[in-house]
Amino acid sequence: MSTKVAIIASNGGLFDAYKVFNIATASAATDAEVAIFFTFEGLNLIHKQAHHQLPLPAGKEHFAEGFKNANIPSIPELVNMAQEMGVKIIACQMTMDVMNLKKEDFIEGIEVGGAVTFLDFAKDANVSLTF
Amino acid sequence: MTAHPEIKADQTLDCKGLACPMPIVKTKKAMDQLQSGQVIEVQATDKGSLADIQGWAKNTGHQYLGTIQDGDVLRHFIRKSSADEIKEEKKYPHTVTNEELEKKLGNVTVLDVREPAEYAFNRIPGAVSIPLGELEERLGELNPDDDIHVVCRTGTRSDLACQLLAEKGFKNVKNVEPGMSGWSGPTEKNFQI
Repeated sequence: MSTKVAIIASNGGLFDAYKVFNIATASAATDAEVAIFFTFEGLNLIHKQAHHQLPLPAGKEHFAEGFKNANIPSIPELVNMAQEMGVKIIACQMTMDVMNLKKEDFIEGIEVGGAVTFLDFAKDANVSLTF
Repeated sequence: MTAHPEIKADQTLDCKGLACPMPIVKTKKAMDQLQSGQVIEVQATDKGSLADIQGWAKNTGHQYLGTIQDGDVLRHFIRKSSADEIKEEKKYPHTVTNEELEKKLGNVTVLDVREPAEYAFNRIPGAVSIPLGELEERLGELNPDDDIHVVCRTGTRSDLACQLLAEKGFKNVKNVEPGMSGWSGPTEKNFQI
């Protein structure tokens, strides 16, 4: 009955983070079951240090002020909200191996899994998104 | 300072100045704390919230009542639904259909027992508003000899109201089924957005 939303986050910039976490929190707030698979540069979005200072795209640095003026919540705040509402966060084991990252390098409350972990969730999802 | 008369809500949630998706996230959290049947007013300045709140209500099963605008502030009214609202057993035996009531409009008293916010946004012209929760103490406003047709959204609250009225000696009371959720006759409201 409930809607399932499966998201792949594979890019590591600030814009990418907002796309991912806005959709994820809005879905969760609308009673959807949400899982995000973070892979390759997407891992930045849940990296303990990196997710506090995600880069704006080159040449777009001036948007930093726009985010502030529009009173947009920070990425760590959005991540917190997402987790509070039960959004499942899955870090890609293969990318972690390639980049030599450990589970402890990421925020609390994540799962680590392979492609099939995500596919198992996504196979009956109503909405699948890639960012 | 407001151009509109006040609409009663059980809770007011301030989302002014917040950007998407915060008004939705905060509404969800506030709604979790409310009881079924209660009405929340969400005040937002995010223009996208007008469409978002309606989509959110549709997908969560809550009842979007309407929105009014005060300057830059959008005031959204939503009533919390419950799953058993449509399943509850109805006990009052005397019922009429929406179509039967539509033919009798003008000749009978229509009593609307929904919340004031529901009444404000969509009602049968000339309907008297007394929310179910206030009915017992406001019986004096009704004439026990009148032909009273009681309406709510789905026929559940009006069923309870009919039972109460019958108990109190009202002789000509009918429950309108299903009520406003299926009403295709004339309507009026307080506001236009």
